[in-house]
Amino acid sequence: MRHVIFRVEKERYGLPLAAVKEVVVPPERFTRVPRAPAAVTGVMNLRGRVVTVVELRQLLGLPDGPTPSGRVVLLERGRRDLGLLVTDVDGIEAVERVSAAPGKAVPAVRGVARLKGVAVTVLDPEGLDSAVVGLFTAAQQK
Amino acid sequence: MTMDMSRYLGLFLTEASEHLEGLGRDLVQLEREGAPAVVDSMFRHAHSVKGMASSMGFESIAVVAHRVEDLVDAIRQDPAKLERSLVDLLLSATDVMLAQVRAVSESKPPDDASSLLGQLAEKVSAVTGRTPGATRVINQAKASPPAAPAPVTAAARVSPQAVEAPPPPASEPAAEARVAAVVPPSEEGAAKTAKRWAVRLRIAPTCQTPGVRAFLVHKRLTGLGTLHGLQPPLEDLKAGRIPEGNIQVELETAEGEEAIRKALRNVAEVELVSLKPAVVAPPPAPVPAASGLVPAEAPRASNSADATARTVRVRTELLDYFLDTVGELLLATARLRELGKVLPENSRPPIEEGVYRLHTLVKDLHDKVMSARMTPLSLITDRLPRAARDIARRREREVDLVITGAEIELDRAILDELADPLLHLLRNCIDHGLESPEDRVAAGKGARGRVLVSVRRARDRVVVEMEDDGRGMNAAKLKTAAVARGALSAEAAARMTDREAFMLACLPGVSTAQDVSEISGRGVGMDAVKRVVENVGGTLEIESELGRGTRFTLRLPLTVAVVHLLLVAVGDEVFGLPIAKVVGAMEADSERLDRSREMPLLPHGQGLLPVYGLDELTGVQAPPRKGVRPFVVMEGDAGRVALAVDGLVGQEEAVLKPLSRPLDLLPGLSGVTILGSGRPVFILDVPRLLSA
Amino acid sequence: MVVSAALSGPFAEAELHMAKRVLVVDDAIFMRNMIKDIFASGGFEVVGEAANGLEAVEKYKDLKPDLTTMDIVMPFKSGIEATREIIKYDANAVVIMCSALGQESLVMEAIEAGASDFIVKPFRAEDVLAVVKKVLGEG
Repeated sequence: MRHVIFRVEKERYGLPLAAVKEVVVPPERFTRVPRAPAAVTGVMNLRGRVVTVVELRQLLGLPDGPTPSGRVVLLERGRRDLGLLVTDVDGIEAVERVSAAPGKAVPAVRGVARLKGVAVTVLDPEGLDSAVVGLFTAAQQK
Repeated sequence: MTMDMSRYLGLFLTEASEHLEGLGRDLVQLEREGAPAVVDSMFRHAHSVKGMASSMGFESIAVVAHRVEDLVDAIRQDPAKLERSLVDLLLSATDVMLAQVRAVSESKPPDDASSLLGQLAEKVSAVTGRTPGATRVINQAKASPPAAPAPVTAAARVSPQAVEAPPPPASEPAAEARVAAVVPPSEEGAAKTAKRWAVRLRIAPTCQTPGVRAFLVHKRLTGLGTLHGLQPPLEDLKAGRIPEGNIQVELETAEGEEAIRKALRNVAEVELVSLKPAVVAPPPAPVPAASGLVPAEAPRASNSADATARTVRVRTELLDYFLDTVGELLLATARLRELGKVLPENSRPPIEEGVYRLHTLVKDLHDKVMSARMTPLSLITDRLPRAARDIARRREREVDLVITGAEIELDRAILDELADPLLHLLRNCIDHGLESPEDRVAAGKGARGRVLVSVRRARDRVVVEMEDDGRGMNAAKLKTAAVARGALSAEAAARMTDREAFMLACLPGVSTAQDVSEISGRGVGMDAVKRVVENVGGTLEIESELGRGTRFTLRLPLTVAVVHLLLVAVGDEVFGLPIAKVVGAMEADSERLDRSREMPLLPHGQGLLPVYGLDELTGVQAPPRKGVRPFVVMEGDAGRVALAVDGLVGQEEAVLKPLSRPLDLLPGLSGVTILGSGRPVFILDVPRLLSA
Repeated sequence: MVVSAALSGPFAEAELHMAKRVLVVDDAIFMRNMIKDIFASGGFEVVGEAANGLEAVEKYKDLKPDLTTMDIVMPFKSGIEATREIIKYDANAVVIMCSALGQESLVMEAIEAGASDFIVKPFRAEDVLAVVKKVLGEG
């Protein structure tokens, strides 16, 4: 299956091509979202639509640290307008064999694959979606 | 002939749901009145669902519908067979069918409902003395349904002489709304004798004096002949109360079509939308013999307006898409205008002229899209009688629910938001407002309680009132509860009028407090009701009299489109505050404010207002400020509050966008908008920010 | 003032026919001049002016214009009275009321009296010309 391959710092990630709407350059500044969880970078105006942009590293529970922002990967999620802040997008590649990811199971991660000798973490769009919703619901209960 | 039925799935889902909802309503009404007309209508609903489901090959739905049809037919033959348990069974059958249809819409196989089928079959045997007959279901791959005409006719509700419309592309499940489309004039009016014409006109949205324009048109038309059924009526026309600028009237005249067109053509700012021979009192559409698929619409409320306008169905998502796109066009136009300002002086006029035209066109398109989104309130009030019955039965109350004005229209988006609040209010009225029949009789009232839902237009607002004749609310108890909860000081409570005190029921926590909900009731979700109403730009009022009853009044905007905002700065961020809630703004030295228990207090009018930093409320960091700074005074749920801000940016009329997932999960936001500069700005729901 | 190019150009449509003749009635010279300029730019010929209702009726009978613009509030005789008399004299007279926002009921009275249409101050040239052309069946 064809995947969009992108990087967050040095690690490589893949999302099924069908789950990605487009890749855009982030604006100079994001509008901050009141009371949003820390993983939310902010919202941006994309041709009149308000898109919520989330930092992937925080979403995956990786240690804190700002993502050098290079691109926003917009997810194709019906009427939800959601984007992931990533360092850069490498391209589109066919990803075949996906094996279980090491460590604790996270719903947003489907598994790992090898691509030209390099490891790629394959993400699950539904899992990402519920991770974001979980993040927001948790923030509300705080 | 092989037929691809999947293209009719969308229609099936909508139509079947409509019939089932109609069936549910009829059942509730039947139990109350037992009128033969209701039984006939029920029979038609069940019959239609059976026909549609069997044509689509949904056997499990068709069988249930068939049994229901059998039972309704038995009641039709012998009304004495109607009893409460039968109504209960039919209602559960209706619910099951609705669930089955819903399952289909989610691409799941419908439940086979075997236990219900057993009960239904048993009842059929008991009532008719016969074993229920087999249900014929079409294997959808094989043939076109028997006794069904080409399903194309299902596409549109058509007045008898109107033309066939192609089926809409309804291949996927989707909510649908109806949009009026205009039939082009079909015949030349060459009659010499007086003839009736249906005239639809539209005053340009840019017209500054629509009232006078409309009056002028009215005068032109009266010069041609006699007018009937002018909508809006003359008084409203003269006062400029013309929703969307639309005027319709029937003109009785001996003049021909060309003369009428000519008389209207030379009036500026008025567009002749349609002119066609009027159909006087259309005959009720006969049920065609071969209408297994979809029966002709029952002739409900057929007036001349229905006869002149034909409706096609459009998916709600498509309308949403139109609105989004038009919103983007408006934004693009605004940016173009901004760009025009940096051009050299001499090249500006043509650009400005062009932008002005573009703006006018886009505004017009926006208005049209908005009007296409208008949907009658009956879409949600139709569910209330069934809900009232269920709640009343559970609580052993007796209630008459009267609904008036449900034909009045509102923007679909507001309507969708309103469904739950109305249900909450109804539940409150019956659950807590109405006394038990014994208590009512003891209080000198009739045993049956009464809940009245009335809808009316008042200028550019729609007013929805729900009132009961129950025990009323106790202002003193509400105040005590609010003070006990720490939501209100005792002094503030003492100063409060009863009317203000009733609104305390909308404070989260206060309303659900045990002692209050037992005595004066109003509790469950009143805070949610108020929030939803205010988020769509409306207001909620409560009036109540002990022993006499309670009235909730919702004043709603017709559309969600435009909100007036005060823009304030906090650090680098800008937020919008709804001007309707802003009392004023002032400057003060924040370090010199009095304090009470750490809370700074701002002198305002006769009193002192609690001060909140908007930076803290929103969680946005702003550099600390010393000295004089601006404060915005706003209405909160428990009185006024002052918000410390870093600057007042200005006022703006903004097109409100609803919050999409996941933003809608956050408390304290009521929407988002995009400024002319392209910057997204959040609109704050201050009471929620304060409480959450 | 922005005047649409199509109306003010050398080959403006109206100039190809015989120019329509206009009587301008207003008690303010400023308004009369402005209205005159608008009509000139649209290819009309302003044949007379009047500063009050009395004068307006006389000038009308004298000039028989194709079109009269009529202010509402004027000394001696109001625009509504003048309109009523002009229509009585010539049932086909085309009188266009010049009004301001807030004068809606007066304009309706004038329409009852026989006025053909109205324009609202402050005037924009293209709006005025659009109304006038519509009324004359040219728009």
